[in-house]
Amino acid sequence: MLKRFKESKIKIISIFFSLLLALFILVQIICIVTHTTLPALIISICSKEMQFAIALSLITSVISTILCIIISIPTAYALARYDFFGKSLINTMLDVPLALPPLVAGVGLLILFGTTSFGKTLADAGLVFVFTPLGIIIAQFSVNVPFMFRILRGTFQGINPRYEHIAQTLGCTELQAFWHVTLPMAKNGLLAGSIITWSKGIGEFGAALMLAGATRMKTETLPISLYLNMSCGELNLAIAAATILIVISLGSLFIFEKYGGFAKVF
Amino acid sequence: MIRIKNISKNLGEFFLRDVTLDIEAGNYFMILGPTGAGKTILLEAMAGIYRPDRGEIWLDGRNITNIPPRDRNISMVYQDYMLYPHLSVEKNIAFGLKLKKIPKEKIKDKIEDITNMLGIHHLLHRFPGTLSGGEKQRVAIARAMVTEPKALLLDEPLSALDTQTREILREELHKIHINTKTTIVHVTHNFEEVFSLGDSMAVMNEGKIVQVGRPDEVFKRPNSEFVANFVGVENLFRGKSTINNGISTINVNGISIVSTTCKSGDSIISIRPEDILVSRKKIESSARNSFNGKIKSIVDKGPIIKIVTDLGIPFSAIITRQSFNNMELKRGTSAYFTFKASDVHFI
Repeated sequence: MLKRFKESKIKIISIFFSLLLALFILVQIICIVTHTTLPALIISICSKEMQFAIALSLITSVISTILCIIISIPTAYALARYDFFGKSLINTMLDVPLALPPLVAGVGLLILFGTTSFGKTLADAGLVFVFTPLGIIIAQFSVNVPFMFRILRGTFQGINPRYEHIAQTLGCTELQAFWHVTLPMAKNGLLAGSIITWSKGIGEFGAALMLAGATRMKTETLPISLYLNMSCGELNLAIAAATILIVISLGSLFIFEKYGGFAKVF
Repeated sequence: MIRIKNISKNLGEFFLRDVTLDIEAGNYFMILGPTGAGKTILLEAMAGIYRPDRGEIWLDGRNITNIPPRDRNISMVYQDYMLYPHLSVEKNIAFGLKLKKIPKEKIKDKIEDITNMLGIHHLLHRFPGTLSGGEKQRVAIARAMVTEPKALLLDEPLSALDTQTREILREELHKIHINTKTTIVHVTHNFEEVFSLGDSMAVMNEGKIVQVGRPDEVFKRPNSEFVANFVGVENLFRGKSTINNGISTINVNGISIVSTTCKSGDSIISIRPEDILVSRKKIESSARNSFNGKIKSIVDKGPIIKIVTDLGIPFSAIITRQSFNNMELKRGTSAYFTFKASDVHFI
């Protein structure tokens, strides 16, 4: 036994580090969920404010995920299937939000919608994004769309265009071939992309804070609620928000691993 | 019939250059060529997947160059099947019929017919992922044929299959062609397929058609060095075979060749040049075929020498340099060419 230990020092050390890291993450989660008692947690979750935050988070994240899907399908298809001028530039631009801090993206959005004539035109038409729930949706969309896009691009790249060719010879238009063949074949990628985009949307904080602000009972999503309640010492409410976010994250991670193992996010 | 007039297409790595080809209606047409010759793009251009940069494609007197694939009524089968994994075998086969808005009852009948013909009726409720290669290719052929296309395009349909399955499916394709009389264009790099299936053939290289003709003509009289090197098959003869006492006698241009394989009627036979024994004098042996002729040409291939004689039909034999030197063979020398009946293969 001792001999084997000597033989694989690197193995022992590296496994030790991986255990340490896993433990570090586990401890954080345990600290949060054990910081309160179950009755207190239930009372907090049932409070009006938390109910509002849950509802707002669900609504905004579902809408922003649907937006991500609608925009990403054609974008990912174009970049997976066709060669065109400026393709690599577009690919790079679409990756930028992954590297950009969400706070910076939020500032960009705030300036775009708050100060430019484009933003003012939209506001005049009734689409006010600054300090409104609508802003939360746009913030979630712009930060998370690369996840959806990248997963879908990988999925479409993995589907041989000959499937569509055959469909066309059998009587499909190009659009029908996409609809009847490629889209159903991309089902797993779509599901995985939607899950990760949705769960990222629920947790979106930085960009939403900049554009939509942190107004209690108005733009108070779960992460905003966590932030507001932390800063004014309402620890039970803060922990309730954090616990809900943990459950959502772990649940989506599980589904993503199950259906999206093939798709690369980074 | 399919008329391809001077079409060119550049897809970067693969291209077509000024391809002109006429394929008679009801013909089983083979396209043979090395990898990257442009065979697949030619099929895809016929199917309408790529619009040619230049040139025209006509089908039965109609210019279909700018007609989308769905209105051409030309079906296609790829080497790697391309069955829809999310659909059952039945739904895969029904795919084209449903789009054509054919009533359900009629779809059922058609599927019944085609699947019985291809022996895949028992697979209807399975999904493609659970099928063997041969089964998948039968389903792909059924899906393509069930729409009763004017032409069926096959892109190396047998290449991904094991030898045994390949032979069975080759027979199957032959049967389909006889039964339906559909024009079939079949891309391959397998010579046996060319002979067993093809009425006519074209050889392609570097995006161009190099030679067109009946398979035995092309193999016997290659028009360029490329074709000669590429087809590279010698001692290939067409003749009428009759069976007598369990052995076949094939009459080739008045010469009778005996084979242990029993097959009658018009046939093509081949004898490998390595299987032919060359001698100065007639030798007594168990070999049933022995012919005398003058040596017409000698090709030095390093350690081996190819000897060609003309017996009314050209015969090639390959011998080692040592035997060649020992026998003191020269052009014009008379020699015997002997081979066993079991070395005469039907194609």
